[in-house]
Amino acid sequence: MNENTMQAIASADGEAEALASAVSGRPIAIQVNNLDFYYGKTHALHNITLGFPERSVTGMIGPSGCGKSTLLRVLNRMYDLYPGQRATGEVMFSGQNILGSGLDLNALRSRVGMVFQKPTPFPMSIYDNIAFGIRLHERVSRSEMDGRVEDALRRVALWPEVKDRLQASATALSGGQQQRLCIARTIAVRPEVILLDEPTSALDPVSTARIEELLDELKTEFTIAIVTHNMQQAARCADQVAFFYLGELVEVDSTARMFTAPRESRTQDYITGRFG
Amino acid sequence: MDGTAEQPTQAEPPQITRRWDGDALFRTLVVLTGISVLIVLGAIITVMVTGGWKAFSTFGPGFFVTAIWNPVTQHFGAVAPVFGTLASSFLGLVIAVPLAFGTAFWLTALAPPAISSVIGMAVQLLAAVPSIIFGMWGFFVLVPVMAHYVQPTARHMFGHVPVLSALVSGAPFGTGLLTAGLVLAVMVVPSITAVMRDVFVSMPTVLRESAYGLGATRWEVMRQVVLPWSRQGVVGGIVLGMGRAMGETMAVTFVIGDSNHIGWSLFAPANTIASLIALEFPESPAGSLKLSSLMALGAILMAISFVTLWVSRILLARGEARAGKRS
Repeated sequence: MNENTMQAIASADGEAEALASAVSGRPIAIQVNNLDFYYGKTHALHNITLGFPERSVTGMIGPSGCGKSTLLRVLNRMYDLYPGQRATGEVMFSGQNILGSGLDLNALRSRVGMVFQKPTPFPMSIYDNIAFGIRLHERVSRSEMDGRVEDALRRVALWPEVKDRLQASATALSGGQQQRLCIARTIAVRPEVILLDEPTSALDPVSTARIEELLDELKTEFTIAIVTHNMQQAARCADQVAFFYLGELVEVDSTARMFTAPRESRTQDYITGRFG
Repeated sequence: MDGTAEQPTQAEPPQITRRWDGDALFRTLVVLTGISVLIVLGAIITVMVTGGWKAFSTFGPGFFVTAIWNPVTQHFGAVAPVFGTLASSFLGLVIAVPLAFGTAFWLTALAPPAISSVIGMAVQLLAAVPSIIFGMWGFFVLVPVMAHYVQPTARHMFGHVPVLSALVSGAPFGTGLLTAGLVLAVMVVPSITAVMRDVFVSMPTVLRESAYGLGATRWEVMRQVVLPWSRQGVVGGIVLGMGRAMGETMAVTFVIGDSNHIGWSLFAPANTIASLIALEFPESPAGSLKLSSLMALGAILMAISFVTLWVSRILLARGEARAGKRS
C-alpha cells in the first residue's frame, strides 16, 4: 500500500484523527475538537479539529481573515475580554476543557502565554517588564527575582545587550529587542504553551532571523503555536503546518509534506502564491 | 468658405488679477473675531488689575498674607478666601477623583457596550446640569443631612481622638467646607471622568491584552499597566477638574456658609473667592476699598485658574504625545 492510499484511508476513517496526528511520536499538549467561534453573529471558525503536539512548533498559515489569529485567541481565552465573542466545542488542555465554565482564566493564561504582532513593552523598566508577570503569580525573594529576570533575558539572548541598563525604560529598546523582551516576559512566567501572533511582521529581517533561531531553542521546552503570513517562516520554523481558509481548517500536515505534497488544491494554490 | 473666414473671436485669457469676491471680507471678519477674543481677555485682565489696584496699593504685599476681612475697619486680606477656595477644591477632588477613576475604569474595561454608552451619556448630562441646580440640591438636601447626621456622627466617632477632633469641631450648621467639597465633587466628576475615559481608551489594545495574557487580573492590569501608561493624561484631567472647582461660584455660595475664617474643621463655614465676591459685590459701593479688594481677589482667582489650566494643558499634551508615540 503506498502512502497516498494510506492517507486516503485515514481521511476516510475520520478526518479528525488524521488531522490531529501530523507530527508523530509526540503527545498532544492542546487538542481542539469541533471548535466553532462567533464574533457576535459572524461565524469565524467552522468545526476546527486540531492537535498541537508537545514541544514542537505548529505553524498556522492562511490569508488574512481566515481565522488563524482567532484560533490563537481561543487557546488562552483572550476573546473572553470582549462581550459578544463566544466559542463552542472543546479545547482540551492538561485534562480539562478550557472552554468550560469555572476556569481560572488568570491561571490558564499563566500556563498559555502569548506574544503579539507588535512588540508591547509595558511602560516600565526592562527589569520590571520581566518581573511583572512573575510577581502576578509567585512571591519570590529579591535575589531569586534577579535570577529569574537574568535567566529569561539570557534565553532570548537579550542579556548582553541590556544587562547594564535593566532599570532603563523598556520603550527605549529597538523593535527587535522589544519583541525579544516580550518573549522573555512570557517565558519568565514558565508557561507550557506559547502562542505567537505574527511575532516578526513588524520587524526587520535581522531581528526576524534572531526570533526564528530563538523559536528553535524554545521548542525544546515549550509547545509553540505561531501564526504567520510568511510562508518561508512557516517552512523554516514549524514542525507541522495548518492551513486555514475562510474559517475552516483545510489541511494540517508535517511541514515537509505540506510544502512538497499538499493534499488539497486550495493549499497548493495558497503556498504557491496563487491567492492570499 | 470656413477656411478663409476670420478666426472666431479669441477666448479671453483667464483673469489672474484679483477680483473682489467676498473672500477678502470673510477673511477680515474671521480675523476680527479671532482678535476680539484677545481683546476681551485683555480687557478682563485690565479691569481686574486696575480695579484691584487700590487694594494692592493700600495693603501692599500684606494683602496676600492677611487673613482679615473686616468691612467695618476697612481692612481686607486675601488669605481666608484663597484658603477656602483651595481647601474646598481639594476636598472636592479627594472625593471626585476616586469616583471618576472608578467610573472611567468601569466604562472602559468592564461594562457591556450598551450599558457603557448609556452611563457615558448620563455622565455627560451631569456635566450639563446648571450649577444653580447643584446649589439648590446642596442647600435643601445635602445641608440638612450634613447637619443632622454626618457631622454629629463624625463628632461622635472622632471627637475625642486628639488630631481628628480638630477636623470635626464646630457647631453643626450643615454648611461648610466639606459640604462645598461634596457639591464640587459631583460637579467635577463628569469632566474628570471624560478625560480619564479618553486616555484609557487611547491605550493600544495589544498592550492591555499583553498584560491579560500574562495572567493579570483586571485590577492588576489597571493598576500596573494602564495607569502608569496614562499617568500624565490622568493628572491633566484632575488638574482640569481642579480648575473648574476653584472657579465654581453659584453652587458653592449656597452651601459654604459665608465666613472669612481659617480653621481645621471640615464642617466650619468658610468662603471661597468666588462665593465672597458673589455675596459682597452688591454691598460694595463704587470706588470703595472693599470693591477694589474684591476685584483684587478676582485677579488672584484668575491667576490661579490660568496657572492650573496651563499646567493641565501641558500635562494633557504630554499624555497625548506619549499616546501618539506608542500607538
